[in-house]
Amino acid sequence: MMTLSSYLMISFILFLAGIVVMIARKNMIAMLLGIELILNAAALNFVAYTKFVNQNMDGHIFPLFIIVVAAAEAAVGLAIVIRFYQIKETIHIDDATQLQS
Amino acid sequence: MDYTISTIAPIVLLPFFAFVINSFIVKKLPKLAVGISCSAIFLSFLYCVRIFKDFVFGTYAANYHVHKVFTWFDLGDSFKVDMGIYIDNMGAIMLLMVSGVATLIHIFSTFYMKEDIRYGRFFVYMSLFTAAMLGLVLSDNLLSFFIFWELMGFCSYSLIGFYYEKEEAGNASIKAFMTTRVGDVFFLLGIVALWGVIGSVSFVDIYQALADGSLIGHSVIGISLTTFAAAAIFMGTIGKSAQFPLQVWLPDAMMGPTPCSALIHAATMVAAGVYLSLRMFPLMDAGGLTPYIAYIGGITAFGAATIALIQTDIKAVLAYSTISQLGYMVLGIGVGAYNAAFMHLITHAVFKACLFLSAGSVIHSLHDEETHGHVQEMPRMGGLKAKMPFTFLAMMCCTLAIAGIPFFSGFVSKDRILGDALVMASQSRVYWIPTLLGFGGALLTAFYMFRMMFLTFFGEPRDKSLYDHTHVEKLSWNRNIPLLILSVFTLGLFYCGSFTGQKIAKVPGVVDKEWFATLVEKPEVETFASYERQTWDFTDEKSAQTFNKSSYDKTHGLSEEDYHHAHTMHIIGAILSIIIAFAGVFLAYLMYIKRSLNPARWVSAFPRWNKALKNKYYFDDLYINIFIQKGLLGLNNLLAKLDMSFYDKYFVDGWQHVTRWAYTVSRKFDDWVVDTALVDGTGASVRLFNVILRTIQTGKIQFYFIVIVFVLGSYIWNLNIN
Amino acid sequence: MFTNILFLMSAVLTVGGAFAVILTKNIMHACVYLLSSLLGVAGLYVTLGADFVAATQLVVYVGGIVILMVFAVLLTGGSDAQKENKFGLSKIPLMGNNKTYTIAWITAFVVFMTLIKIISNIIKYYKETEVSAYTATVEKIGMLLVTDHVLAFEISSVLLLGALVGAAVIARPRKRE
Repeated sequence: MMTLSSYLMISFILFLAGIVVMIARKNMIAMLLGIELILNAAALNFVAYTKFVNQNMDGHIFPLFIIVVAAAEAAVGLAIVIRFYQIKETIHIDDATQLQS
Repeated sequence: MDYTISTIAPIVLLPFFAFVINSFIVKKLPKLAVGISCSAIFLSFLYCVRIFKDFVFGTYAANYHVHKVFTWFDLGDSFKVDMGIYIDNMGAIMLLMVSGVATLIHIFSTFYMKEDIRYGRFFVYMSLFTAAMLGLVLSDNLLSFFIFWELMGFCSYSLIGFYYEKEEAGNASIKAFMTTRVGDVFFLLGIVALWGVIGSVSFVDIYQALADGSLIGHSVIGISLTTFAAAAIFMGTIGKSAQFPLQVWLPDAMMGPTPCSALIHAATMVAAGVYLSLRMFPLMDAGGLTPYIAYIGGITAFGAATIALIQTDIKAVLAYSTISQLGYMVLGIGVGAYNAAFMHLITHAVFKACLFLSAGSVIHSLHDEETHGHVQEMPRMGGLKAKMPFTFLAMMCCTLAIAGIPFFSGFVSKDRILGDALVMASQSRVYWIPTLLGFGGALLTAFYMFRMMFLTFFGEPRDKSLYDHTHVEKLSWNRNIPLLILSVFTLGLFYCGSFTGQKIAKVPGVVDKEWFATLVEKPEVETFASYERQTWDFTDEKSAQTFNKSSYDKTHGLSEEDYHHAHTMHIIGAILSIIIAFAGVFLAYLMYIKRSLNPARWVSAFPRWNKALKNKYYFDDLYINIFIQKGLLGLNNLLAKLDMSFYDKYFVDGWQHVTRWAYTVSRKFDDWVVDTALVDGTGASVRLFNVILRTIQTGKIQFYFIVIVFVLGSYIWNLNIN
Repeated sequence: MFTNILFLMSAVLTVGGAFAVILTKNIMHACVYLLSSLLGVAGLYVTLGADFVAATQLVVYVGGIVILMVFAVLLTGGSDAQKENKFGLSKIPLMGNNKTYTIAWITAFVVFMTLIKIISNIIKYYKETEVSAYTATVEKIGMLLVTDHVLAFEISSVLLLGALVGAAVIARPRKRE
């Protein structure tokens, strides 16, 4: 049951789901949700390979850093979203087309 | 003498330089111009005497000639034009005659044209004319011959229209020029035809080609080349020597001054046509043209004589008699009487010049008080014998000569022509009509010439006031001496050894000096074929070709029996001529002196003939009204209409439509292609690309994301993973 | 046995949560479903023997990031915003309508087709190897972090500092002048 291919399938599904969320939603925060899904898919891939292919511990280190970076990026991103909301009073992604308002 | 450029060319160059100098000084110094002209021609005459002496009394050979050639221009590829001088016996005699008669006429003109305001200009033209005539006699090829021929035509035009205040004089000069032009066109055609085949138009080369037979086999529009060229060149003679049918210009040419008529239209220019035929005689003979030539000569001789019967102007009578005598010369060529035709040319020149000058003297004396002009009408003359004895004497001699009275030169030459005509007529039926016309013309000639004499000098003066105002003639050097000198040369002695030319009445001691008949022989092509041409160089080199002296061949190369037959015919002809001449004189005497026959009755007996003769056989009518008015003018109008309505309208005016259409096309091109497509199109394409490309630049993050995904996807898709 | 059940439950949680995030119309619900998905991923880590990673995931992701997102949602007023944009046209609803979903599914399909090539190759040529027994990984990870990957470690700490300060600067309230 727990073969490499099943884990790869799961991470593939997560990745696709993240892409769908990123494209389909118009809410900025929802897009950030999608980003998180994608990142998680990548990390799951790493860990799966560590268990089944190569017992190199780098496969555990790197997901750690993915998580760290994702956290930082989510924080900053949300800060930007909040700032955007303070200016534009909306969080619709189609309103964020101008570089300079 | 040495024949080089310095000895022969002055014959032509002296009068020519006189012309050039005179044309500059004639306005200011007319007397000096006259003097230059007369002295120039006199010096030429001396040269010609020298040449004549050398030819006739020096070497005395029948085929002695001088031929010097230089290249005029050479364009390579067998287009080489040579000019040269060719003098043989005939040329030498002709030179002497031309220069001598011209000198005497120049001297007479100093008397005749003295009171004219354009006294000097007359001599300018006369000098040019004599230069041209002498050049023509000296020339050795048809091209330079033609050049001088045309030059003489121009001088004739200028001199006929000398009194240019009179409109008839202008018309007459144009008529003369145009009529001779018709003949000259054909002449040029003949020259070109000969040139095309032979490659040169020198006389010697033509004779050589005839001898070689290189002209046989070529044909032009179906006619053999010799016949075509001969006919074409003979048309030149017809035009210039006023033969039928181009004789219409000579009577009108009497509008010019009388000395000009004497020189040009009696002695020299009209003789040039006959000279051409004489030079081209081998070609005419080989072309088989001689019967036609005889017919034309005969018709001309007789027809002109008939018209002369009713003329009342003294110069008109002489003009028609000139046409008639030229007809005799052409008739002589036609029947093969080469020598006799040439002799008639020379003798006719002498006595006709004398006749014209005497007529001029008569006209000059008769001064009309009312019109202040000179009288030329014979009905107003009469009984002038007492007032102008010397003129009467000269005119009498010449009239006797032209009528064909024995002992005079005219009889000798005319009788020889008629004798040869009889010989040919006895041999073939073709020549009967020309012979008959010739004898008939002789009768008429005698008649009308003596009519002229009787009307002018004999009888009672018909216009009393005119007669009273006429001055008695005094012997003056420039009026009478030329006349007397010329009339001396009308005696037959100078031309043959006997008074009658047939050795019937022989003058002892001179019978064997038949120099004329000996020297000028009918050219056989074989003798010419052996000539060598010499190139001209400027050093004094003795270059005369001498041949064996040939003694006088009595039989002229004929067999004994033919010669006897010819001799018989000649004697018959001589007797006939004498009878006819005296008959004509007698008839005139009866009509005008004795008054036993009334000319008016004869006129009324033939009214239609009279009308025809008065209208000169309607030739002027034919040419002017029918050919020119209806034919040429009609053609002119048609062509003009064609040009204007068709050619102008469509081709010339039509271009505006083309241009307009071109403008429209060009404008459309400019509008559509350049402006819209290129200029506006560039902007539009940029805008189009803008429209296309800015869809990518949406600013929407999700769109960018999709693009990134797709690009990466395509990249990964195309990777080769094994 | 236990791992299989755990694996199954985690897989279901993960995939189900992911699809729920896709399909829900409510942003709050989406955040909660993400939370569940991340929980599932942590469970998957456990079945893979990555104990430290699973713990980190739980602590950081679940306990930190999703909470943060919820806070942001609450601060920005939720799903209903203006219905028309500045040009007067109607905006696409915040959670997407059919059009966006269509595009998204197409894109997902493209990616699927692209990646399936790789994954099928991997699955084809993968040979089953010996799975080793479970060992504790904390010590090993700790050792690596300060010996082999010390640079990344330090830089990530700097990064976190930067994120902290940056987020605070960006989102601080401005003085109204």
